[in-house]
Amino acid sequence: MAQRGGAQRPSGGGQGKICQFKLVLLGESAVGKSSLVLRFVKGQFHEYQESTIGAAFLTQTVCLDDTTVKFEIWDTAGQERYHSLAPMYYRGAQAAIVVYDITNQDTFGRAKTWVKELQRQASPNIVIALAGNKADLANKRMVEYEEAQTYAEENSLLFMETSAKTAMNVNDIFLAIAKKLPKSDNNARSCWMLQVITFKTGETM
Amino acid sequence: MELTPHVQEKLHAGHKLTAVVEAGLVQDFIKNTRVVALIEVASTHVKQGGEQALLIFQTARVPVHSAIDLSIEQVIAVDTNLKCEIDTSSLDVDTDVLVNITSGKVRLLFEMPFSQRTNAFVSEILRAAEVVSKRRGPPPEFAWLQPYQKSSTSSQDPASPGSAPTTADTLDGLGGDAVSLGDVSVDICQNLSSTYPDPANCNTENSSVHTENERSPDLGVNRHSIATGLSPTPIAARESHIRYQMAMREDAYTDIQEFTVFVGTWNVNGRSPTVGLAEWLAVDAEPPDVYAIGFQELDLNTEAFLFNNSPKEQEWLNAVLNGIHPKTKYRKVRLVRLVGMMLIVLVQEKHLAYVRNCAIDTVGTGIMNKMGNKGAVSVRLDLHNTSICFVNAHLAAHQEELERRNEDHDCIFQRTCFHLNITSNSPPKTIKDHEHIYFLGDMNYRINPCDMNIREVASSGEFKLLLQHEQLTQQKNAKRIFHKFKEGNILFKPTFKYDVDSDEWDSSEKARQPAWCDRILWYGDSITQLEYRSHPQLQISDHKPVSAIFMAGIKVVDTRRYRRIYEEVMKKLDKLENEFLPQVTIDTTEIILEPVKFYQSQTKYLTIANTGQVPVQFEFIKKLNDVTYCKPWLSIRPYSNFITPGEKCDVSLEVLVDKQTAAQLNSGVDQLYDILVLHLEGGKDLFITITGDYERSCFGSSINALVHMNKPFRDVPVAKLIDLESKQPKELSEMPYAVPKELWYLVDHLHSHGLQVKGLFTHPGLQKEIFEIRTCLDEGVEHQVLPGSVHSVAEALLLFIEALPEPVIPYSLYQAALDATPNFSLCKEVINKLPDYHRNVFEYLMAFLKELLNHAEDNTLDANTLAHVFGSVLIRESSAVAGSSDRRNQNQAIERKKQTFVHHFLMND
Repeated sequence: MAQRGGAQRPSGGGQGKICQFKLVLLGESAVGKSSLVLRFVKGQFHEYQESTIGAAFLTQTVCLDDTTVKFEIWDTAGQERYHSLAPMYYRGAQAAIVVYDITNQDTFGRAKTWVKELQRQASPNIVIALAGNKADLANKRMVEYEEAQTYAEENSLLFMETSAKTAMNVNDIFLAIAKKLPKSDNNARSCWMLQVITFKTGETM
Repeated sequence: MELTPHVQEKLHAGHKLTAVVEAGLVQDFIKNTRVVALIEVASTHVKQGGEQALLIFQTARVPVHSAIDLSIEQVIAVDTNLKCEIDTSSLDVDTDVLVNITSGKVRLLFEMPFSQRTNAFVSEILRAAEVVSKRRGPPPEFAWLQPYQKSSTSSQDPASPGSAPTTADTLDGLGGDAVSLGDVSVDICQNLSSTYPDPANCNTENSSVHTENERSPDLGVNRHSIATGLSPTPIAARESHIRYQMAMREDAYTDIQEFTVFVGTWNVNGRSPTVGLAEWLAVDAEPPDVYAIGFQELDLNTEAFLFNNSPKEQEWLNAVLNGIHPKTKYRKVRLVRLVGMMLIVLVQEKHLAYVRNCAIDTVGTGIMNKMGNKGAVSVRLDLHNTSICFVNAHLAAHQEELERRNEDHDCIFQRTCFHLNITSNSPPKTIKDHEHIYFLGDMNYRINPCDMNIREVASSGEFKLLLQHEQLTQQKNAKRIFHKFKEGNILFKPTFKYDVDSDEWDSSEKARQPAWCDRILWYGDSITQLEYRSHPQLQISDHKPVSAIFMAGIKVVDTRRYRRIYEEVMKKLDKLENEFLPQVTIDTTEIILEPVKFYQSQTKYLTIANTGQVPVQFEFIKKLNDVTYCKPWLSIRPYSNFITPGEKCDVSLEVLVDKQTAAQLNSGVDQLYDILVLHLEGGKDLFITITGDYERSCFGSSINALVHMNKPFRDVPVAKLIDLESKQPKELSEMPYAVPKELWYLVDHLHSHGLQVKGLFTHPGLQKEIFEIRTCLDEGVEHQVLPGSVHSVAEALLLFIEALPEPVIPYSLYQAALDATPNFSLCKEVINKLPDYHRNVFEYLMAFLKELLNHAEDNTLDANTLAHVFGSVLIRESSAVAGSSDRRNQNQAIERKKQTFVHHFLMND
């Protein structure tokens, strides 16, 4: 039980905590927001992903050591004309992934504007990750890794270059966000305890 | 929906329906509708009345329309194995409650609505279960259920796994024990032998294994028999399901590890431990993993009896701790004592971390059925993933008190109750809720008088002969007690009654016959008894201690596999949750309007098709900071609706630019452009863009702008229109008209053609003609002739005045105008304050109206009517204020004031 503690002891008295978070994807049209989600949630990739007209909704769970994080993912439309609707989706979000396309400098500029908007208007504790997508097209690279990384560091963003096509860093970026999110009840949309048995170490005899 | 009559129809004569509900049976993350009925057999049909059972019906239609829709899927007898638990851990009371019905290996999880009916139903089951638990005598046979079981199998494909009907008694724990003969499950097995490939197995050791394999790993229901057309719905309470799914998959992430369990019992006759206990507790080569050591008659003092206070407790605990196996370290899990009964549970130190949810309980069955000189003390715990219960009992003494002992036994099983305080809402556990049960103690059963010399035979070692007359064995074989428990072969001398400090039979006056009072029984799979023996070397009591060594298979969680399976379950839930999200397709996301004209409506359609697996509730929702879900010139019908899977819904989008919205579009403040957000409840949003061009019109343009247009409206460039509508126009005409030329055309037309027309301004015009007049005015009037009838022109005039963004009496003078009505000169003062062109318009119109009244004989108009009609369009309140409710109440008074205002100018000027 919890009070006994110790390395060889079961953790948390058999309690597992599940926390639910709202995560929004933002970024220029055609940078690969939906593809990232599709890769993360269903493990699929479509070369010709339809343009999102609206805000797609999916859920996905990430299991950490001590907690389980359930993401409610809102994948928004990237086209400029829907820009004014974005606040509906990032409002109340605990996490955001701002996506750009490493082969297109403009999309990086747009990503910075999104970051600025989030910093100004989203919840103050929002965990923001910057994803340089289409990393598989390195030969067409227009945004240098270092440039983006420096920018991310300056703005305390998580940063990874990703590829929805090859799956590179896709799970990782969601996992990194899950780890960074504070798991207290008042931060998540909801948290509940799951009564299952979790042992940190299984060796007994 | 009334289920009762349909279910009633399915029942056989003499069987009564107690309660019925519709519920979602959770199978593999999906729930399917079932009808669950609790039925009872009339007492005349069975020896002992009140036998009850649960019938679970599949249904071909929801809601159920007739008895034909129902087919029996499972029959579960309400016997002592049936458990019904409500999972109340879900935080949300709005969601369904989970009702867990278990009976042996059968586990059914139902989602039931959070309702009175569900509550009543569960209460009935619990009541039925309680009735059963209080029964005396042999367990019920449930023969009356046979017809249902037949019907449930005949309707199903016998070859499909899981089609075997499940009875309460699931054959577990039957293996080889004589108890199984005539057991309920066996009866049923034989009745249904046709459906079993090898019915002979039912009575053999393999039977439990065999039937388990016959059953599908999930819930014992063949899925393909689920009626088509009933779409399954996703489960609701996610966390409960994770727990449930993990429990169902326990085998996959646990390994059975063998633990040795030492169980000992000794009636110490109130003596103190003057001898070491190693000869009892540490005679084996290897130390056991778990010790459960029970004592009876620990203390015979009245002090102990009345106040449950005994110094002997510590003495004997110390003796135990000194006597246990020296090869390893032990830790005490729990010690529980009631008067003279004491139970100590110890585990090897290394196991302590894996012992959880310990709880104790005591039951006194002595005088008044509560004193603690007889009864039981119990400890329950979870060792790794296996639940274990130890019961140390001391039953009623004396040769002739057989029935008292049986009753004490019943009482212990009924009243022992463990409260686990890990979460307040987990239901308390009884002895029978445990996977492993060890029942030890001084049971006090004796050897019935027979033609043998009991003492001689007991000393000789021919125990088999004596055991035939042994009460506990007899009662157990008769199924009166220790149902489904096992006891090893007794190969030791009776443990009672000896002269103290000797191995001699009782030499006192009473000369008690020898008996095997001290016994150890067990219940549970994967337990093997290795030793069952007495320890006659310990002579301080009139009883000899007994011990047994068990090899118990304990389920140990493999963390890696547990984690993997947990993640699998989560993935599966995610996948399902995503699959069961509402999905629709819409035929377009871009709606492009034909050019939109003033006051002429246009309707477009949007088709929303439910292409998902669940019903969809859609709604057009407000964008952030918006007051309404669409622009005022648009109306959406229906803006919210419910679509079942495969169905469509046509939504009409009607665009109408009227007097309220025209001005905004004319001035460029608004455009015919909107993005609609179509929200699916619990799912995604879709955006629909609606765009169109508005053909600007003089209708909805302001007086000040119109007087500066000396070309037909349509010929004025849009930029100039917007400029003229702005607060400070840059390009004013050098020669503005006194009144808008469009107004002049309308009035002039009426003056030329309508002065003598009866019903002018009261007779409605034709909409089509009004549109033509509007177009004519916008494009330029040729030969000063307007199309349409004078009534249409008259209505167009009123519409023109009403559509002015700033009324003739401007909003700023609205209140002043109303206040001025008692006095004509005050009214004139208001008119003097009007902007020039507004005053021109007002005076022009008044002159025209007076001219109309001059022809009252022909046109039958009167001043009151005209004043009323024109008052309401000339004097208007800004829409921002008009909405408030107290205003509306005064509406009539206000209308009268407007009329009076205009009336002054028609009569007094």
